[in-house]
Amino acid sequence: MLEIKVASENAIIIYLSDQVSEGTIEEIAFFTALLKQELADLIIDIVPSYNSLMLSYHLDKTDYIGFCNKVRTLIESNTIIFKMNQTESIEIPVLYDTDVGLDLADYLHEKSLNLATLIELHAERDYRVHAVGFSPTFAYLGPVEPRLRTPRLATPRIQIPAGSVGIADQQTAVYPLASSGGWKIIGRTPLDLSLANPENISLFKLGDKVRFRPIQLAEYLALGGEV
Amino acid sequence: MSFRIIKPGFLATIQDAGRYGYAENGISQSGAADEHAYQWANHLLDNDFNAAVVEVTLGNCEWQALDDMEIIITGADLSFSIDDKIVPLWQTISIKQSETLRCQIAEQGSGIRSLIAVKGGFQTMPQFGSRAVNLREQIGEEIKAGYTLITLPLIKQAVRKRAIPYYFKPDYGEPLILRLIPCYQYEQFSQKQVESLLNQDYLINSASDRVGCRLHGQAIQNVPAKMVSEGIAYGSVEITTDGQPIILLKDRPTIGGYPKIGTVLSLDLSKLAQRQASTQVRFELMTLESAQQKRQQFNRFFNISRSV
Repeated sequence: MLEIKVASENAIIIYLSDQVSEGTIEEIAFFTALLKQELADLIIDIVPSYNSLMLSYHLDKTDYIGFCNKVRTLIESNTIIFKMNQTESIEIPVLYDTDVGLDLADYLHEKSLNLATLIELHAERDYRVHAVGFSPTFAYLGPVEPRLRTPRLATPRIQIPAGSVGIADQQTAVYPLASSGGWKIIGRTPLDLSLANPENISLFKLGDKVRFRPIQLAEYLALGGEV
Repeated sequence: MSFRIIKPGFLATIQDAGRYGYAENGISQSGAADEHAYQWANHLLDNDFNAAVVEVTLGNCEWQALDDMEIIITGADLSFSIDDKIVPLWQTISIKQSETLRCQIAEQGSGIRSLIAVKGGFQTMPQFGSRAVNLREQIGEEIKAGYTLITLPLIKQAVRKRAIPYYFKPDYGEPLILRLIPCYQYEQFSQKQVESLLNQDYLINSASDRVGCRLHGQAIQNVPAKMVSEGIAYGSVEITTDGQPIILLKDRPTIGGYPKIGTVLSLDLSKLAQRQASTQVRFELMTLESAQQKRQQFNRFFNISRSV
């Protein structure tokens, strides 16, 4: 599938699939890299997401028709050779505890789960980065085990502490910054994923493998976590 | 050359032409909310199109000059004065060492964002290729009392006295029509829903900021459901589940999941950035070709290139 639509006076959005799967991530990651390389002088910014790619372009160098033609030709004439070759997972230590998991108690009740089962189902398995956005270094990870899936909070929180680990539908993620948000919070990582460390900017890339490692309070505190 | 901040006012941040090349890492565009006033300020100082200025929101600020300087103030007319003598906007003005620059609080029709520019731009530390502050992303911080703003040292200041031709000077009190390019999920909205958007006056909601402008009007009925998150462009108009539009601005998140009925021409977003809460706005459709022509004209006039 390939559909190109206008997004603004100098942006287009390309849909490569109407569903979300690991195959789609490979396609999106591959074409993100390819277009960036081949059309570097025309592209201002590129926003890959679950099944689409948004591109903004230099209006002084090209126009809509010209740019779309180049993009279409590149996509149609290239076979995807991207392989998610990363064998190592990015490991994120998480404290699953009601002191930091703001919705943990309600969530366990709602899902009729005990804490041990939740940890078993959420941690120690690989997720893929499906998109990075919302805020810098916020990586949408999926898919979440069906038994853990839950709708967002009816009313989003005004302030979620940095490091909070949340679940919404098929996705899970760490909030790298204190921000508002409607995901259900089940734990917190002591890691600082904010841009206070500028290297965090490239921590999560499309298709990367990520896993959560359950930790106890002592390790959480030793790693700099706050309760 | 520098200023000391005595009173920052409601909100003052350093802004430039924006942060580019990091959207795939989730970093938003940022940059001056009113590109028109921002570009004029730099243009009148013969600055680069990307030079950093201070964006003062809603006024109430007090700065002390630590050197003699030539400055330009554009945007909202917040009754700026130097040592209590009112000074004009949109033209070169002189401030002498130890004099105090003040501004009052925004009034109806005055605009809400003023830009204060100096020769060569304010010298802050760029982060990810830009000096623009984005408070939502915790990139940079707002200007606080006691801060010193550094400018380039000037050898025998050679700034030419210049002023904007009067016909370019905007009137922030005039009725605002937002020209909308029908795009994104436009076709998923029914004709009735599109008419509902186009045939009413919306009011700007007070919960608007640099991230987005929330409008309030008669709700659009039965809007399409939330969708898989995708890239959101500057000016895209999301219709939330309750049928109200949000126009996404400079500090917007890079991706989002509300359906979008189209995208507003960037030049109209500059005007929008100057409107107070409760101001009326309307939408009108425009073609992509016409939007591209208008933006290209603007870029050529101010010599804006993104090739850096």
